[in-house]
Amino acid sequence: MNFKPLDPLLHSELRLAVMSLLIASEEAEFSYIKEQTGATAGNLSVQIDKLSTAGYIQVEKTFKGKKPCTICRITAEGHTAFENYVKALRTYLRVK
Amino acid sequence: MVYIINLITFAPSFEHKPSSSPFLQEGDEDKSNKSFKPNLPTNNDKDMETIENNELTAERSLEIITEQIEQSRKTASKTTGQALYVAGLSMMAMSIIIAITNYLTKSSLGHLLWFVLPLVIIWAQKKNKEREHVPVSLIGSLVGKTWWTFAAFTLVFFLVSLIWNAVATRLYEPEVYLHLYIKVTPIIVPLMGMTVTITGHILRSRWLVVFGIIAGIGTFLWEWLGIGSVLLFRLAGTTPSEAGLFHPILPCLTFLLFALFGLALPGYLLKRQSL
Repeated sequence: MNFKPLDPLLHSELRLAVMSLLIASEEAEFSYIKEQTGATAGNLSVQIDKLSTAGYIQVEKTFKGKKPCTICRITAEGHTAFENYVKALRTYLRVK
Repeated sequence: MVYIINLITFAPSFEHKPSSSPFLQEGDEDKSNKSFKPNLPTNNDKDMETIENNELTAERSLEIITEQIEQSRKTASKTTGQALYVAGLSMMAMSIIIAITNYLTKSSLGHLLWFVLPLVIIWAQKKNKEREHVPVSLIGSLVGKTWWTFAAFTLVFFLVSLIWNAVATRLYEPEVYLHLYIKVTPIIVPLMGMTVTITGHILRSRWLVVFGIIAGIGTFLWEWLGIGSVLLFRLAGTTPSEAGLFHPILPCLTFLLFALFGLALPGYLLKRQSL
């Protein structure tokens, strides 16, 4: 069986959860991602930082009324990386 | 387990820089300092990646992806359920207001108030969106586009029909006008039922599909067969001239029934199901 290598950046529980959430969304607020993943704000912020540096997601700082709001969006590069990750995952799960 | 490792790994950097990440803002409820303890052992990022990768199996990865995508669908269902519920209640209230207006003015002028309904629904939706953290999901966006298409077609059709009916009543004799008159309600209700059904298919909600079909076809038959008029004659014992006074009110009853069975009830069930 020929196993394909898994992207180390995506092969992390929290980062994969963030990417999976964003893949099904056009955009999501930081607070929503935090709520859904159950991660702490600090930890999530660091992981988002890593994904953003890799160019997998785009982060926009904006305001919702008077409150600051951080919006995350998946990039085309992120889409491709996620697609490749799933393809590689299939080789481990022996899915045709 | 992985979360604990993350906490240990990132603790030192957060001690020195409380809001070190550029993505953490005041509104994002940063409680990171409270989450990390000061005397935890330190590891570097590389170590953590290795530990993480060893912990995460292919099955667990697939589970995470499935869970999050399913969660996204649930959020979209909940948001749509809430929107349908609010739209249903607003439509029911509007039907009653229009029925009273038409009865008091003895005309169909009250029907113009239907144009206010989309504004009420948009306002209620905006308020709800501001209150909750709702992501823009692909499913939600698809549902939104379906309803915008319905709204655009319906409003234009409604407006053209109103103008045509107003013009035709002045141009033609009553016998001819009867054949040229456009009945709006029996066209709008099946269209609305169809939109509810499509929404149900997108969200994979059997409730919505069933209620959409029942409400759409049911209210169409109710209106087309004139069941409201028949009931008015038979049950209320009204004379034809008295029944004429109720003519502008009957479509309101049809819309009230649709709002209840096609929007409010399935919307409420969808909202409850997605909790």
